[in-house]
Amino acid sequence: MMWPELVPLVPAYMDIANSRWLWLSTVPVVLVVLLQATIFLRRAWNDGKEMGLSEQKLKTGFKTGIISAIGPSIAVLAGMLALIATVGGPVAWMRLTVIGSVAFELPAAELGVSQFGYSLGDEGITETAYATAVWAMTLGGTGWLLVSAFGTRHMETVRTKISNGNETLIPIISAAAMLGAFAYFLSGEITAGTPETGSVAVGGLAMLGLLHLADSRDVQWLREWALGAAMLVGLLAGVALRVTVGSWW
Amino acid sequence: MSESQYKEENATGAGEQDVYNESFVPYVNKWGRRTNVLAVLLSLGPAVALLAVFGILPPRAAIVGAVASVAITFGWAWFIEPLSYYPVLGIPGTYMAFLSGNISNLRLPCAAAAQEASDVETGTPQASIISTVAIAASIFVNTAVLGIGSVALVSAFQALPELWRNALESYLVPAVFGAIFAQFGRDYPRVAGIGFSIALAMTLLLELGYLAFLPSYPLYAVIIVSVFGTTLIARWMWQHDMISPPDEANE
Repeated sequence: MMWPELVPLVPAYMDIANSRWLWLSTVPVVLVVLLQATIFLRRAWNDGKEMGLSEQKLKTGFKTGIISAIGPSIAVLAGMLALIATVGGPVAWMRLTVIGSVAFELPAAELGVSQFGYSLGDEGITETAYATAVWAMTLGGTGWLLVSAFGTRHMETVRTKISNGNETLIPIISAAAMLGAFAYFLSGEITAGTPETGSVAVGGLAMLGLLHLADSRDVQWLREWALGAAMLVGLLAGVALRVTVGSWW
Repeated sequence: MSESQYKEENATGAGEQDVYNESFVPYVNKWGRRTNVLAVLLSLGPAVALLAVFGILPPRAAIVGAVASVAITFGWAWFIEPLSYYPVLGIPGTYMAFLSGNISNLRLPCAAAAQEASDVETGTPQASIISTVAIAASIFVNTAVLGIGSVALVSAFQALPELWRNALESYLVPAVFGAIFAQFGRDYPRVAGIGFSIALAMTLLLELGYLAFLPSYPLYAVIIVSVFGTTLIARWMWQHDMISPPDEANE
């Protein structure tokens, strides 16, 4: 395989971690994810039309999904480098294409190898320690799958309870939950440093400006590209701050 | 997208609710459960390959120890995250996002941006349909980018100057967070201000160690208080006529 030459210090388990067998073993689960996406998409498209959503709105949703996914996917790819160097190409690809995120997989792999006193990146990591990391990521990741598999049906009850069955309250509750969740995400970034804070602020302001422009002039394509453009501007702001002032905290 | 068109779609409420609740949701629940359970089994692929092909099986104590450590660190998130993101993701989105991962940085922003672009109101059946479509699109893109990337782009990435590699890893995601927050904050600026204050205060309390009286690493307290605190305050504000959905406000 091609990985070993890319990684400067190659631990012994990397031959196995990058073997053809491991690549093969990751294919079925990725196929299930694609299958689910395909059948849900078809059903949503057909039922959406029956519900009165225009073909144009559905296309806009699909297009915006694609445009908005490109940037973050490339960012995931950048984060994947760390995982490739530690658990090999196939497992890194599988864990980040489906189920996980770098923020979960790296700590989980670390907790796996730590059972043998290693830390990720150590030279002497054994095959057994590597396998433990794989088990830790796999079994640790099933928590979300099981809760979503068996819990999703019951979640509507929670939302109905919060809104007391009041229809007009549901959009407010949903937007508030979203604002709370993203406030939590961006607080983590703001406390991380000045460039991150700049990215948050500039990304937000760019989005406000673009959406305002899209609304006032009724430019549909601008709405579809708004997130993609805002994230790029925010990224550049982060880089600019980093090379000029660095980080104050 | 004109206002009148929007109203028209809302006016036909009863019929579309039927399609959504009696056709779409049961289908999604049935197949979502099956595919996610199937994925649990198939995700064992690499672990099983290590055992079957290479004969490597860690001692049971090591697996139990590792999984217990993971459960202590992330177990709260297994429950809190699906509950917290459900209002935005909707039923199909919850199955899809927790199967496909990268939720905060990829699935949620895609779903939210698509809802804005298609001009549907968050939390409604229409929004749930648009989320489904957008998340499916994001799954195709993400799989393709990572597939091509893990084979072809990794070497190109390593040739990038470190500044840009770090920039992609560190600054793109905060920009996405800022943008989505701004998108929702536009409709509910006061709720945004309150949510932001709560989350920042909780994060600072956590970082300064004032939440240490809670068991384990209390990141879960930050997310619970942020999401449900903001939700409950928004409900209170609505009950006291301090906020209303954007289409009613219409200043």
